[in-house]
Amino acid sequence: MDEKKITEREGIEIITSMIARTRERYVGDGNILLMWGYLTVIVTVLVWITLVSTQNPAWNWLWFLIPVVGGIATPIMSRKQQMKSGVKSYTDKLTSKIWTTVGVASAVAVLCCLGFALFKGINCWLMMFLFPVIVIPVVEMAQGFIVKENSLVFGGAIGLAIGLFMTCCVVGKVVLYHYWALPLFIVAFICMMIIPGHIINHKKKSQR
Amino acid sequence: MKELNPLLHSQLRLAVMSILMNVEEADFVYLKEKTESTAGNLSVQIDKLTTAGYIVVEKGFVGKKTRTVCQITDLGRAAFEEYVEALKDYLNL
Repeated sequence: MDEKKITEREGIEIITSMIARTRERYVGDGNILLMWGYLTVIVTVLVWITLVSTQNPAWNWLWFLIPVVGGIATPIMSRKQQMKSGVKSYTDKLTSKIWTTVGVASAVAVLCCLGFALFKGINCWLMMFLFPVIVIPVVEMAQGFIVKENSLVFGGAIGLAIGLFMTCCVVGKVVLYHYWALPLFIVAFICMMIIPGHIINHKKKSQR
Repeated sequence: MKELNPLLHSQLRLAVMSILMNVEEADFVYLKEKTESTAGNLSVQIDKLTTAGYIVVEKGFVGKKTRTVCQITDLGRAAFEEYVEALKDYLNL
């Protein structure tokens, strides 16, 4: 392409051609999903093993590894991903804002639980167990609809089904014993993050 | 009939503006690849669009390499929309 004068018809052709080129569907890579998925699964397994073997609830503090590690790694990976693609679409901006909102909401929820625990001695931490399997699947499904990626929609739907089941258990006063609740939590994250992450990366590889 | 904006009625500048109308921001490498232009020519046209206030350019570093990111301004968006309206008039669309 050069700097030359064009006819009116060529002007329209350039505009439509450039719009088509920028509309190439860009889902990004699945690495951030995989990082959160594996991180959550590894920490959950770790908590599960330590709880079963020691029966000491203090091991629940290990859960904090998820937001700390994920919170540090996500902006770094996201920046790297954007540099690689060279473009930031309006969809990227929208999904980034939605996930940031989820992050802030999670942080507020943690503070609420801490407040209840420290000032009132009330244990609300179960909410932090349900929060990721209710809020994250809904956001993930929305993202899947926006970028037209079915693995995100189906993965999110399975995660949400598990989340709703667990919520029903809590409301119905069915105790969430760690020997079955934690594996269910792991299944939710495998379906929501690990499988879609690998599918997206596989699609990206085969596009090259 | 409205006159076509001479700054936009040029192959490469129009291509750059069309891309930037559709994305939040794009870097120099992306624009070069999508417009299939040379770095020198693209750089000159980006300067012209920047001087007109149609786009803003942010230069940064990624490691030791420079990274130039372009973003359309409100003025550029309005000029582009006006240009498209004028084109429609010319072509009776």
